[in-house]
Amino acid sequence: MVSETLTFLTQILIFPGFIFIIILSFFSEWYVRKLTGKIQNRIGPSYTGVSGILQPIADFIKLLRKEDIVPSTADKLITTIVPILYFSLPLASFSMVPMTNPQALIYFEGDLIFLIFIFTLITSLIFLGGYFSGSIFSIMGSVRAATQLLGYKIPLVFSLLLPAIPASSFSLTEIVEWQQNNLWMIWLQPIGFAVLFTCMLAELEITPFDIPEAETEIVAGWSTEFSGAKLALIRLGKNIQLLLASSLISTLYLGGPEQVWIIPPILILLLKIFLVISLIVFIKNVIARFRIDQVLSGMWKYLIPATIIQFLLIKIMLGV
Amino acid sequence: MSGTVIRLVIGPQHPALKEPERFILELEGEQVVRAIPRIGYVHRGIEKAMESRTYIQNLYLVERVCGICSHAHSICYTQAIEELLEVEVPPRARYIRTIFAELERINSHLLWLGLIAHEVGFDTFFMYIWRDRELIMDILEELSGNRVHYAVNTIGGVRRDLDHDKASKILKRLEIIEERIKRYIPMLEREQTLLKRTLGIGPLSQIDAIKYGAVGPMARASGVKRDVRKDDPYAAYDELSFNIITLDDGDCFSRIMIRAYEILESIEIIRESLSKLPDGEIRVKVKLAVPPSEALSRVEAPRGELIHYARSNGTDKPERYKIRAPTLANLATFSKILVGAYLADVPVILAGIDPCFSCMDRMQIIDLEKNEKNIWTIEDLRRYAREWYQRR
Amino acid sequence: MHITIEALKNIFKKASTEKYPIQKKIPEEYRGRLIWIMEKCVGCSLCARVCPVKAIQITGKGKEAIITYFLDRCIYCAQCVDSCNVKAIEITREFEFADYDKSQMKYVYAR
Repeated sequence: MVSETLTFLTQILIFPGFIFIIILSFFSEWYVRKLTGKIQNRIGPSYTGVSGILQPIADFIKLLRKEDIVPSTADKLITTIVPILYFSLPLASFSMVPMTNPQALIYFEGDLIFLIFIFTLITSLIFLGGYFSGSIFSIMGSVRAATQLLGYKIPLVFSLLLPAIPASSFSLTEIVEWQQNNLWMIWLQPIGFAVLFTCMLAELEITPFDIPEAETEIVAGWSTEFSGAKLALIRLGKNIQLLLASSLISTLYLGGPEQVWIIPPILILLLKIFLVISLIVFIKNVIARFRIDQVLSGMWKYLIPATIIQFLLIKIMLGV
Repeated sequence: MSGTVIRLVIGPQHPALKEPERFILELEGEQVVRAIPRIGYVHRGIEKAMESRTYIQNLYLVERVCGICSHAHSICYTQAIEELLEVEVPPRARYIRTIFAELERINSHLLWLGLIAHEVGFDTFFMYIWRDRELIMDILEELSGNRVHYAVNTIGGVRRDLDHDKASKILKRLEIIEERIKRYIPMLEREQTLLKRTLGIGPLSQIDAIKYGAVGPMARASGVKRDVRKDDPYAAYDELSFNIITLDDGDCFSRIMIRAYEILESIEIIRESLSKLPDGEIRVKVKLAVPPSEALSRVEAPRGELIHYARSNGTDKPERYKIRAPTLANLATFSKILVGAYLADVPVILAGIDPCFSCMDRMQIIDLEKNEKNIWTIEDLRRYAREWYQRR
Repeated sequence: MHITIEALKNIFKKASTEKYPIQKKIPEEYRGRLIWIMEKCVGCSLCARVCPVKAIQITGKGKEAIITYFLDRCIYCAQCVDSCNVKAIEITREFEFADYDKSQMKYVYAR
């Protein structure tokens, strides 16, 4: 019993839990920056560590040491809670994603819905954090985040739930198991994959949907007034969210962790995650930012009908 | 989304603005209902400073009015002083000035193209454009010895000569730039997200462009054929054949395209002037005894028409010097083109006129409703301040 | 679509930026720090008079002239080089002079 608890604790805290995820998120930030540099014909981070691999950690430590300024008009309690939750919520939800084997650390019927709930909670956090920062730029940013939520949330939820239909389960673990017994979800529902990918870009506030933090319009949007350790946590939270989003895409649609030949499943999953991240970074770099009204009308005009068509298609396919 | 009006203050410090300047936007939801520009944050008293420096020293001060159109300012200054002195500049010097002016135009237009891409959130394109701009900066550095303040003009000619080696270097780099710009033009025309953000944004009709006194690429994008290089040729422009490019739409997209086309035209101008480059002296020795007189000189800076006025009183320092930068002429159009725009489009429109506030700032008040410009004396300013505080 | 192809190509291209403090590129005709060749100097103080930023101070006359060159004020326009009648001033290609102490940023030339 004791040894079982210990193993469980190590899994939660070290591998593949918190510490592993945090290190991986730093690595993914370095990868994003380096790849962006490559695409833009630059070098990217290059002095800290071997070709700049320690740069994200150095940035994090630097931000931790900086002065924490809270505007007098801001709500102290909320602006303290928001960065902590913003970073810890996606970190905690990683325990529900299958990493080392097709089975997640914590799994229950309906953990997919729980993950959707967490994603919505994060957007609400953004709104709260921006609204109570007491700066006009933050308020504009949070209003934009909330407005954007109206556009992408419905297709996002739809496309997250689409894989549950053939697997006939709301559990990530069972969806992964179904994919390993049958075929990858992307072959079955390509439209669902495209919709999920687009909506994840919006959820992560990545170009072309980085409207809530469009720097040339509203400075840093909702996170304008955060500084020091809070900003460090927000940046870390962003990296973890990117990792969480891409691991969700790879578990739901790309088969998740599976044993190929003698390569352990975790490596296969990481490969898939970094493929998805590369695609996200590439799209981020070849597209300009949309305007908020264009996002809303585009989401409602194209993505929601697309998910409905996908839903009907999968029903017909399974029914036959 | 209507009813409440939010007053959003953009600037003096704002990432959309590369220089400090303040715009008060009254928003209804995401839409601008009123825009109030406030200028004067980078007023540096350059005109006054010029009155206390000699004509030679002013050569370098006037370059520092603006970091990007430094050569335009210095060409305008030397022309004014040469007019006061009644000096004829040797033809080779005139051609070298033209080459520098056009290289600077390419530099400035590339810089602006990059900025507008950054404003619409298209950082990769920004990086590409600025990478190519580096080629021009390198040429200018090799020709003049500095990347920004070329210090190539002097009263009575130019300070640095062009030899065959450097000319071929310029031509080689220009070929690369031309090839890349020709590659970018279809990219700009077809990139959907860019089109969505610029097509039909901030429109300025031809009539309004004339009414509000727009100059430079801003006016030419609205279909106004206005270019000092043709209207009042200076340097070697009267001996060169080139076209004034105009587009009709007057929106942000045509402001982008006009600059791309003008880069290609500038490349042709440089090629022609290099092939026509006459032999001879590059400067005439001038005795700097300026007779009491006054002179006005006009130059087509990358951003539009630039006017310098000088009055001398027989000493070695100017008595009065006045600079009218193109941004000031274009600023009046803001009150027209910002109204009705979405907040997301504001940076694009603001950047669209290619503002250079450090050039522009002086004690001038623009009444936007009446569209009157008047320079205030200190007495006027005191009276205004008194009245303003009484009203509060 | 064009930009996608361009971006894809760039992933495999060499970066166009340089690692600055390690790699440096200074053109032949760069206007950097000035040096005075005191053997040629006749102490006419013309350089001090034309300097737009008063970066040159001259004390004494003729052969005994002592020239103080303030690097923190110099704008590297090289007008003094043009104005010097005996060509006693030369341009170097040095450009990295940042210092914490302004009083250290000056050179004194004397015969």
